[in-house]
Amino acid sequence: MDLMSIAKKLEGLQTIDSIAKNLDINRRTAINYIWMLRKKGFVETIYGKRKIRMYKISPIKTPRLGYPGLYEYLNQYSKIKVYAPYTNRIYDHKPTTEEIIAKAVKTGDLRTILSSLALFNKVKNWQRLSKIARKELIGRKIGALYDAAKTIIKVRHIDKRARKALLNSKIENKYIVKNARTKDLKQIENMWKVYLPFNKADLEAYKE
Amino acid sequence: MINLQEQIGLFKIIGSQLKNNVECIAIGGSAMMFYGAKNATKDVDLVFLKEEDLIAVKKILYSSGFDERKNIKGIFREDEDSGKPVMMDGKETRFDLFLNEVIGYKIHEKVIERIRDIHEFSNFIVKTASPEDILMMKGCTERERDRDDAAELIRKFNIDWSIIVNETSQQTKIGIAAFPLLLYDFLRELEDNFTTDVPEHVMEELLIIAEKRIKELSKKDQLIKVTKYKK
Repeated sequence: MDLMSIAKKLEGLQTIDSIAKNLDINRRTAINYIWMLRKKGFVETIYGKRKIRMYKISPIKTPRLGYPGLYEYLNQYSKIKVYAPYTNRIYDHKPTTEEIIAKAVKTGDLRTILSSLALFNKVKNWQRLSKIARKELIGRKIGALYDAAKTIIKVRHIDKRARKALLNSKIENKYIVKNARTKDLKQIENMWKVYLPFNKADLEAYKE
Repeated sequence: MINLQEQIGLFKIIGSQLKNNVECIAIGGSAMMFYGAKNATKDVDLVFLKEEDLIAVKKILYSSGFDERKNIKGIFREDEDSGKPVMMDGKETRFDLFLNEVIGYKIHEKVIERIRDIHEFSNFIVKTASPEDILMMKGCTERERDRDDAAELIRKFNIDWSIIVNETSQQTKIGIAAFPLLLYDFLRELEDNFTTDVPEHVMEELLIIAEKRIKELSKKDQLIKVTKYKK
């Protein structure tokens, strides 16, 4: 079997054991195959929990031009990892943390938004965040998420001007995630007049 | 012919001049370059879901030195106006801009769900169609280079044949009634000329879908009309 056919057969996430099982070979041979596949550029190594090595195998060597998009950025900087439904690349400029937060909120996906809370500790330019949020009509949502993040993780201090601008901004609708409302963070909800999608227990994921 | 870098350069130019967000789906060689399955392409094929988006990109291409080709007969079905693209000829490349369908292959929700990559060039957002959809769109044409591309797709990608069968069943209802027959012929030709492996059960299922559709249409006193493209 040539390496292309092996890569096609093993496409997706694999461990040494799963490769050995799939190809009906022993572990040593599986390691050799991984070595050969990596040389051809078909393998990307990622680390799972307890530093277990996992191999992302693809028969296609996709050119990685541009800068990482939403999901890659979140997985790089947030403790809560998200599954990327698609690969996203940005070509015209390097995306800023502020832009990524706005993009994450706009997905309306609970886990993506939860993951993006960690980025509030990386925001450098609050004015920029406020400007993007107001343009995208998600200003108060971002303000509420910032306060929610503050209850569980260390975040950078938001400047008063940006906070005030966010508080007075217009939004399209009150739901951050469609039809999801919190039971625990009512105070933040009332202040920002939006519905937060998670409870305190959801935020505990940051403490694990 | 343009390569990936040049294509990205052109998309950046379009993106920088667009005033609002414009989304489109890259298909054919253009998408294959994003996947790393092709080095260069002759034409950049883009499908738009909104007419105003297509017009906005067409205007930018015009102002960037691309001219619209007026007479595009002889390449596409003579009797069908739908599915004909807006062709913008440049010095070294051509943009084919489609609206909602590609020569009868309808772009619907499922096709959009199967999108794998999203590439952002400021306001210009280019999504890449799945290899399965690209393969099926290639099946609608009779061009020699499309066969090379299709063979390459089957060789390099783990094609999910169940998607091909399900989508064929869908397209024969919403798009070209003869779609399963065209695809069957196309895949048989690939098998014969390029020694590509297409599972036999897929070929059988394509024929079953075609027969079923013929029966459905004959009940309504209609026939499947197969118009092949001019070479």
